[in-house]
Amino acid sequence: MRAVDGISLAVAEGELFTLLGPSGCGKTTLLRMIAGFAEVERGSIWFGGQRIDQLPAHRRNIGMVFQSYAVFPNLTVEQNVAYGLRTRKVSRQDIRDRVAEALALVRLPDHGARWPHELSGGQLQRVAIARSLVIKPAVLLFDEPLSNLDAQLRTHMRVEIRRLQQSLGLTALYVTHDQEEALAISDRIAVLRGGRVEQVGPPEAIYRTPQTAFVAAFMGATNIIPGVVAGFDGTAATVAAGGAAFLVRGQAGAPGAKVLLSIRPETMRPVDRPDADGPVLAVRLQLREFLGPLLRLHAALPDGTPIRIVTLGGHGVPATADGTLSLAYDPTQIIAFPAP
Amino acid sequence: MMGSSRFQAGVSLLAFAVLGLFLLYPLWLVLQSSVQDEAGGFTLAPYAQIVSSRYYLGSLGNSLLAGAMSMVLASAVAVPLAFCLARLQVPGKLLLLALASVPMVLPSFVGAYALVLLFGRVGIVTVALRSAGIAVGPIYGMPGIVAVFTLTLYPYVLLPTLAGFRAVDASMEEAARNLGASRWHAFRTVLLPIVAPSVLAGALLVFIEALENYGVPAVLAEDRPFLALDIFKLFAGESDPNAAAAGALSVLLVGCTAVVLLLQRSYLARRRFATGARRAAPPIPASRGWRLLATAFCWGVVLLSLLPFAAVVVISFQHFQGPVMSWQPGLGNYRNLLKGSYRPLANTLALASLAAAAACVLGAPLGYVLARQRGRLSALLGILATAPFAVSGTVLGIGLVIAFNSGWLVLTGGWLILVVAYAVRKLPLSVRSASAAVHQIDPSLEEASINLGLSPGRTFLTLTVPLMLGGLAGGAVLVWVAATAEISSTIVLYSSRWTTMTVLMLHALEGTAPGEATAAASILILVTTAPLLLAYRLLRRHSGSLL
Repeated sequence: MRAVDGISLAVAEGELFTLLGPSGCGKTTLLRMIAGFAEVERGSIWFGGQRIDQLPAHRRNIGMVFQSYAVFPNLTVEQNVAYGLRTRKVSRQDIRDRVAEALALVRLPDHGARWPHELSGGQLQRVAIARSLVIKPAVLLFDEPLSNLDAQLRTHMRVEIRRLQQSLGLTALYVTHDQEEALAISDRIAVLRGGRVEQVGPPEAIYRTPQTAFVAAFMGATNIIPGVVAGFDGTAATVAAGGAAFLVRGQAGAPGAKVLLSIRPETMRPVDRPDADGPVLAVRLQLREFLGPLLRLHAALPDGTPIRIVTLGGHGVPATADGTLSLAYDPTQIIAFPAP
Repeated sequence: MMGSSRFQAGVSLLAFAVLGLFLLYPLWLVLQSSVQDEAGGFTLAPYAQIVSSRYYLGSLGNSLLAGAMSMVLASAVAVPLAFCLARLQVPGKLLLLALASVPMVLPSFVGAYALVLLFGRVGIVTVALRSAGIAVGPIYGMPGIVAVFTLTLYPYVLLPTLAGFRAVDASMEEAARNLGASRWHAFRTVLLPIVAPSVLAGALLVFIEALENYGVPAVLAEDRPFLALDIFKLFAGESDPNAAAAGALSVLLVGCTAVVLLLQRSYLARRRFATGARRAAPPIPASRGWRLLATAFCWGVVLLSLLPFAAVVVISFQHFQGPVMSWQPGLGNYRNLLKGSYRPLANTLALASLAAAAACVLGAPLGYVLARQRGRLSALLGILATAPFAVSGTVLGIGLVIAFNSGWLVLTGGWLILVVAYAVRKLPLSVRSASAAVHQIDPSLEEASINLGLSPGRTFLTLTVPLMLGGLAGGAVLVWVAATAEISSTIVLYSSRWTTMTVLMLHALEGTAPGEATAAASILILVTTAPLLLAYRLLRRHSGSLL
């Protein structure tokens, strides 16, 4: 049993590359291999022309921001940030300048003399980032850096991390299990599952054109509905699923083939009456969740298969909970995967 | 970790080398001496001699019986005490806890001697009672020995059990109660089973300590056979020494304690129920009467266990005419004691300090490696690092004498052999407290340091050691205190130049100078109690993890 297996990835300079996957998919192991904390059994890791997987961890010049921050409790903020510079025998004056510069970058210019226990979680996170920035690492690694922060701070910090990374032109590798975070922050994403790469690509491609049902399901709550291909008319296929007939662009599969349809909740639109413009689906509304800006509807297909719909506001949604609901959809937004 | 594996391999190698040379090699020689006849051939005659001798079988039986009874009684005292301290509002809890750990490291034979002074044939209480017409039974032999063991060793059960009770999350009990269990039923079916492994772990340590103890039977056994005494007599006695028989008895003793220790470790490894409480269970709202009862019980036990030591201190300030005490306060005992020389006191302090330093230098990295590394090698190292607990001081002493009496390394008669014996015997204390301290340190701190460019070795020295300083200092003090009170190996290894306070004391009370003995004991109590309370403060955060 290997934690990661058969992975081949190339990260471009100045890119923020995210390893995304559920817990146990090997993303943290991969990151720790790069940092030198996990052994590489076979294969190699290169920085440009230099092979690094055989260097000891302390000679790799890789910055790492830990999930628990790992800010040394026995050193002040300044001493924490200066730690890597001291080991690199940087002159005292340079250390002072660079530490001040790094603390200013993470917006903690006046906190140098503080002790870690006097700081909040978000501030500790900034110290950890400053500490790994200041050594001018070849690559900066982030190991689920935001998972210990509350929801609001999380969105705030990820914007800040992204801004910093772009303005300094840093090459960064970012590990997270949060798909929204990955979509928001990355130049490219690799979705991992069971130690292998499922798909690599820019966030939009991963979200809109997932190559496997796993990626589709993992990138946000999609509806996965099993069905059978009924026919193909040259542009679109008809798939019988959930007691209804879906139009899917492309061939989807040979007639009679079993498929999984992925329909994103936000790609369906409740309409007042069956529209002539495009395909319409009739479902039975069961529950409405009001989420502020969004309205989430829980409905059932004719054979009872549950389906979720998300809309902005609440146009065209019947007021009663037991009424039927007409949903307009775009066949190009439905993706069919061969059923396993 | 790739880079740090070299550091860990180095530490493991050093530990194997030191423990191999000063623990396993001497023990091997003891074993060898027990199965070799004079011509150097293999023989089991010494064992046959023991098995056929009613005296030596009695010796084995007495030791085992004393150990078992002490184990049961110490648990019977310590478990309710732990529960009261964990869950009831007992005034002076912190002080109580600090005081309760004192008897564990004070020389237990001083407690035994106090018992003789108070309840012996011409003891103060005995004489007073006899003059009032009340006869008092003899306290020599089994009853007195078990009483002293119980009162001095119960902290071994108390500390882990208390930690166990505290580590049970409040929700456990609440869930049981919510499901309809009464408080008593919940205690019996949930709380007690959860802490049972902690109780047993401590109880087995009591058994081991009681089995190997030399000082207490030396004072109280009179002519009854006990293993530790007989081993010493056979090895170094003036009348017919018999090294082979001493070796065979030693093998039996170490075998018993080793089996018990292995049982304790494997049992504990399989049952770790208490894994740290998110929310400690709240104090039980008890009626005034119950609270008073609990308070009386807790303070009663702790004060009773300290009473012998207090009595010795008080008696040391009385006037002695030969063996007879009169109630006249004075410093005569101290004058007589120190008239000879300050040498034994200086020896004790110097030897203990060197042993503490040595145990720390080896124990800190070893404790670190054991806490951080998983694997077969590390498990073996863990057993080896705890093994000195199971090795009787007398037996180790004999082994060291056989090993380093001649040849390339001669240590007998010098100070170094005492330091080696102390450091090896007390190494588990320093390893355990170092490990406990390391467990509190987030491993990603060290990874961060390595990631920032410091090698694993330097990370350990400049980051980890400062972070575990409290635990290290606490461990060093424990080793120091335990070494000052050490008698079972000292009695084999000391020379006239390197006499310690404990030896002085033992000789004084075997001779006719009980006054001087009490003075020596008082000095020892004073010298050890202060640092012990300091260690307690340093280690309070991980109390109970010491064992």
